[in-house]
Amino acid sequence: MLTYEPDDTLAHRLDPRSKVAIQIGFAATALSHTAPRALAVLTLVMLMILATARVSLLQTLYAYRFAFVFLGGAPLLASITLGPPWVDLSAGVDSLLASYRVLLILLVSAAYIRSTRVRDSRAAIQRTIPGKPGQLLGIGVALVFRFLPVLRADVKTIRDAMAARLGTERAAHERAGTVALLGLERAFDRADRLSLALQARCFAWNPTLPPLSFSRLDAPALGIAIVLALSALL
Amino acid sequence: METDQRQVELVDATVASQFARAALLTVLLGAAAQIAIPIPGPSPPITLQVLFVFLAGLILGPIWGSFSMILYLTAGAIGVPIFANFGSGIGILFGQSGGYLWSYPLAAALIGLLVHRDYRSHGLRDPATASISLVVAALVAGTILIYGMGAAYMAMLLELTAWQAITAAVIPFIPGEIVKIIAAVALVRSGRLPTVGHQSGR
Repeated sequence: MLTYEPDDTLAHRLDPRSKVAIQIGFAATALSHTAPRALAVLTLVMLMILATARVSLLQTLYAYRFAFVFLGGAPLLASITLGPPWVDLSAGVDSLLASYRVLLILLVSAAYIRSTRVRDSRAAIQRTIPGKPGQLLGIGVALVFRFLPVLRADVKTIRDAMAARLGTERAAHERAGTVALLGLERAFDRADRLSLALQARCFAWNPTLPPLSFSRLDAPALGIAIVLALSALL
Repeated sequence: METDQRQVELVDATVASQFARAALLTVLLGAAAQIAIPIPGPSPPITLQVLFVFLAGLILGPIWGSFSMILYLTAGAIGVPIFANFGSGIGILFGQSGGYLWSYPLAAALIGLLVHRDYRSHGLRDPATASISLVVAALVAGTILIYGMGAAYMAMLLELTAWQAITAAVIPFIPGEIVKIIAAVALVRSGRLPTVGHQSGR
């Protein structure tokens, strides 16, 4: 599983907003090119981005291994035709190149995850998205991060209790419904206590945000993001 | 550092309550994305993500339901491992399952709008008071939206024909989606779903 790791790489020192801009620029250009030469250049860019965050390529490929089923299967599916000659290699190759660019986009996003703390992302969201939606999304992201282990444990408790009572023998819709209902009851119970606690602690639309500022390093990073985005038009 | 002299603008109690519930529904969706329940036949096991998209629209209504889903996409994008298989990252939003993920806020809003049609004047209703045919129609519409966007994006991204995308990204999941619609309808009919009306509590 990919996660933030404390370090002092170039990527760690960049502002999260610059890193998001680079990812979006990279995705924009990757989604508009499937020519082998363009993909070769993008592969080099991807390797450089991973190097700036000291991301292990193998570990990242392993973390995204579930995506390979579709990305590997799509070219096979694309090469099958419903009549003679039954196999269309050129359609398969087109789909293979298209799948490869998706892999590049996935790998680039690993650099952001490894180099960015959730609280920095939260601060970036609250500074970038204007008004109340931005405030709620920022606080919401922090709460999701905080409560994920808690609700995972709740869901595990529910599933263990179901298994102990032979709930695993029941029909799929009953099992799904039981997990959903009991999970919701626990989650909303926690939510009610959380909203009380938030209000008791002066839950405001204009809180003091965690510190965040652009540094000199961010200027070239934003420049790269713009170049990447513009290269989508080539 | 400068001292901030602005007045504190407190969040209204109703908003705080709805927000906390929407946020925890997001977390529950993230926790449930890892659960796989086997179903009979050759279909892949079902995950509960879409069931919680249904419940977001049914319980939280169009506004907070879609907010909850937007929060899911945002939190996953910045690295909280809440997508399927503990995945996270902006790349997944642009990846082969991106179409499904982007459809979640729209599907929750659609289901919420259909079931809570009078929410502006009367607040959110208890889904148990809605007719079953309305609930089923809303859930089927939401499912069609999710799979329509999912398959269309996949076809465009991976250069597949429409039929190839439907074969890979829709047909194998139909039995699982029927199971989830049945589960959601059974939950609504049981009357045990929590409600978040403007005036009433649970």
